[in-house]
Amino acid sequence: MRLYAAFIYLFLYAPIALIVLFSFNAGRHAASFECCSTAWYPRTFQNTFLIEALTNSLIVAGTVATLATVMGTMAALALQRVRGPVRVAFDVLTYIAIIIPGIVIGIATLVALVAAFDALNPLIAALWPGGPEGAPRLNLGYGSVIAAHTLFTMALVIVIVRARIQGMDQSLIEASADLYATPWGTFRQVTFPQILPAVLAGFLLSFTFSFDDFIIAFFVAGSKTTLPIYIFSSIRRGITPETNVIATVVLGFSLTLLIAAQVLMRRRARGAGGGGAAP
Amino acid sequence: MTRKFPDPIGADEFLRQLRRYQKGSVSRRHFLGVTGLGLATAVMASAVPGLRGRAWAQGKIGDRVSVATWPNYFNPDNYAKFTEMTGAEVQVSVFGSNEEMLAKLQAGGTGWDVFVPTNYTITTYVDLDLIQPLDLSRIPNFVESAYEARFIEPGSVNGQVYAVPKNWGTTGFVVNRDKLKMPLDTWKAFWDVTRAEASGRVMVHDYQLTTIGNALKYFGYSFNSVDPKELAEAEKLLIESKPHLFAINSDYQPSMRSTDAWMSIAWTGDGLQLNRDMPEIDYVLGKEGGELWSDFYAIPKEAPHLDAAYAFIDFLLDPEVNAREVEAHGYPVPDTRTTALLPAEMTSNPIMYPAKELLDPLEFGAAVTLTDPLRAEIMARFKAA
Amino acid sequence: MADGTAIERRQSRVTAMLLLPTTLWFLLLLVMPLAVVLVFSFGERAPAGGYEAAFTLEQYANLPARLTAFTNTLTLAPLGTALCVIIAYPLAYYLAVRAGARVKLMLLVLVIVPFWTSFLIRTYAWIYILGGRGIPRLLDMVGIEDLRLINTPTAVLIGIVYGYLPLMVFPIYVSLEKLDKRLLEASDDLGATPLRTFLQVTLPLSMPGLVTGSLLVFILLMGEYLIPALLGGGKVFFVGNALVDLFLQSRNWPFGSAVAIALVVIMLVAIAAYLALVGRERTRSDASLI
Repeated sequence: MRLYAAFIYLFLYAPIALIVLFSFNAGRHAASFECCSTAWYPRTFQNTFLIEALTNSLIVAGTVATLATVMGTMAALALQRVRGPVRVAFDVLTYIAIIIPGIVIGIATLVALVAAFDALNPLIAALWPGGPEGAPRLNLGYGSVIAAHTLFTMALVIVIVRARIQGMDQSLIEASADLYATPWGTFRQVTFPQILPAVLAGFLLSFTFSFDDFIIAFFVAGSKTTLPIYIFSSIRRGITPETNVIATVVLGFSLTLLIAAQVLMRRRARGAGGGGAAP
Repeated sequence: MTRKFPDPIGADEFLRQLRRYQKGSVSRRHFLGVTGLGLATAVMASAVPGLRGRAWAQGKIGDRVSVATWPNYFNPDNYAKFTEMTGAEVQVSVFGSNEEMLAKLQAGGTGWDVFVPTNYTITTYVDLDLIQPLDLSRIPNFVESAYEARFIEPGSVNGQVYAVPKNWGTTGFVVNRDKLKMPLDTWKAFWDVTRAEASGRVMVHDYQLTTIGNALKYFGYSFNSVDPKELAEAEKLLIESKPHLFAINSDYQPSMRSTDAWMSIAWTGDGLQLNRDMPEIDYVLGKEGGELWSDFYAIPKEAPHLDAAYAFIDFLLDPEVNAREVEAHGYPVPDTRTTALLPAEMTSNPIMYPAKELLDPLEFGAAVTLTDPLRAEIMARFKAA
Repeated sequence: MADGTAIERRQSRVTAMLLLPTTLWFLLLLVMPLAVVLVFSFGERAPAGGYEAAFTLEQYANLPARLTAFTNTLTLAPLGTALCVIIAYPLAYYLAVRAGARVKLMLLVLVIVPFWTSFLIRTYAWIYILGGRGIPRLLDMVGIEDLRLINTPTAVLIGIVYGYLPLMVFPIYVSLEKLDKRLLEASDDLGATPLRTFLQVTLPLSMPGLVTGSLLVFILLMGEYLIPALLGGGKVFFVGNALVDLFLQSRNWPFGSAVAIALVVIMLVAIAAYLALVGRERTRSDASLI
């Protein structure tokens, strides 16, 4: 059994080790390996477009995770009190948003936005006070990627947070109400601390999904390049060790986040004895 | 479709003189004199310091230029030089087919400043209002008289210039002679060997024009056919060949280099680059014919960095710079000033300048193939088969 | 009484406000786009590509032209899911039941870490490994010549298992972790063979995780594009690849829309059938595991 586990871990990590190793390639082609040089690291960091793609991805993922977590949590809380057809409609939409493949979301968003922009742009140009020359044009970009990513991640947050609410001790809420706490007070003091782990998990999942998504952004990013799109086109352009450097850096970045999260959790766990809701 | 090429000295005559010069049967002076290159060479000699005098070289063109081009089709050192001179970084996207480029432009919001359409696509870009007319006064390095006319002509539509020539070339196939030793000099042989000795080791482009076109050549039809009956035969051949293919991909260099693939439909420059590094790889033109093409630099309608786009094109058309492009990627240029600067081993290379009897049967791609729904659907069906 | 309805009214106003952004999102970015795709699927391809308004069933009639893509997806997606289950289960079991408490956390984190690396890059690493200079060259040394792995269904399956294994390990681990170990002891005490204990106690109790994991992986696989694109070389074609091709190459938006609608319908049917198969009771309880 232990041997089996070891084998699986080897399977999981051999390709990653290969990526990291090849980032220290001294040659120009990634197809053959010449040991060893860190020359590609500074070169990669001076690459404006790569840094820009990384920044774009961080902005998009950050916005998506925030929007999805706030909106999803709001909806999950509200849905507790909703019954009947509205509830059914919401449940159906939530599951459809999760089940529909990313590629279909990407295509549908592309097609709908292009149709909408084609209709709206002449209208804006006609109504623009400064004349059609200076009128802004709606185009694919940050907005469309964020909107499309938020759809899926928001649905994910709704499911996660609702599961947590269902598992919550309802008597605490009743007790709080009996003690004449305002609904807001009850939420802040009782509900929120209890659903916080689910909210955080939702945030992290949303961030990861958005940061790593290729296919939706591929369709709707317009002229904006996210990190996965950059990597994809650099694979097509002919692989240089640069691609491996990016991967190694992203891996290091995720590991740092993971460790930071771990440390933070441990500190929180220690501080939790003091009571009170976390900010 | 017949085209008239107003030729100062005649393209064939030029090539003939070029070859004579390469073989050493005429002197350099004779060659330069006959072809009118003497003057061009003299102009060229002063051209590079001249670049420094350009307005764009003083760095007022913004911080970037975004370029959509084909795989293995530029010299990274040149692009770095451009950045160094102007402060504008070059962002490169690479595509596998003209259809893919067109689809991106049709969906809107590409952010490209310069793209590289192939001769037969330009009229469609004009019809769809996706390309902008060029202000040639902003591209002083484009000197019309230095170019072979037939390679300039597709860049103009209704008397308006939309694109200036980048390179020209042929579409043939590369074959690894260590692995495949049988005689291979026709498209017939290409497809037959694909389904026999080379099974599992052949690549074709992810590009309807060349893949369908060269399947049509198997039957001796026109490379550009849109005849449903002829296309049906080509589709049958493609679908029969599919299980024997290694991959469908327009970037076949990595697989040829790793010898995963032994044979692939290929363009001139890839043939030369592969042959340069691995002499066992040959570049072959099918005797039946196939494609002769020329690529252009052009600017999309909504290019966000217009100044940078013009500066970039002008920079690359400088003969010195252009010669370094050719030395890196191995695609010939229709610009005689640049050709004169190339090393003899390039100008005498039969991959770059194939024999007349091989060039003669080649066809330029026809505009109709780009928009023909049947060709698009056959390609898509072949890939999905 | 009047006071009560005022509170109720206020409460329902708050509820409506809380639901407003989500509702807007669902309408504008889910319902409307899907409606547009549905409308487009009855249209015609414009002469130069794109969409032209029409009402025709031609696009749906043409669906059999992508039959191979559908059959590829419908065989490799379930097969990939099954492989993930088979490979993930023992690992999840080891982590939940056998692994020592001290190493357990670290081992768990090690399962997630690959998931945090770019999916694209992890897949692309396999181009090296399966390509001519990777495993085939090693095999060449021991005498197995000219074996081709890259651009085959095998390569795609390897990519699938590699990409989605962590997603399968986790839900199974969670449900096995919850499992009361005393049940296993009891079964053992009652003289059941280990196999019988597994089949009658462990496996049924871990079903919720197994169902969640396989649904998750299956859903993602049905829309997969990258793995076949990178490891299939255009030869192992999924519906996802056909879609990218139709929208970004042959520019046939109406037909692409019809293919997309067909994919969604097939998926919904497949998921419904699967859920019916494993029983409704179990699935209800595993919403908490996602």
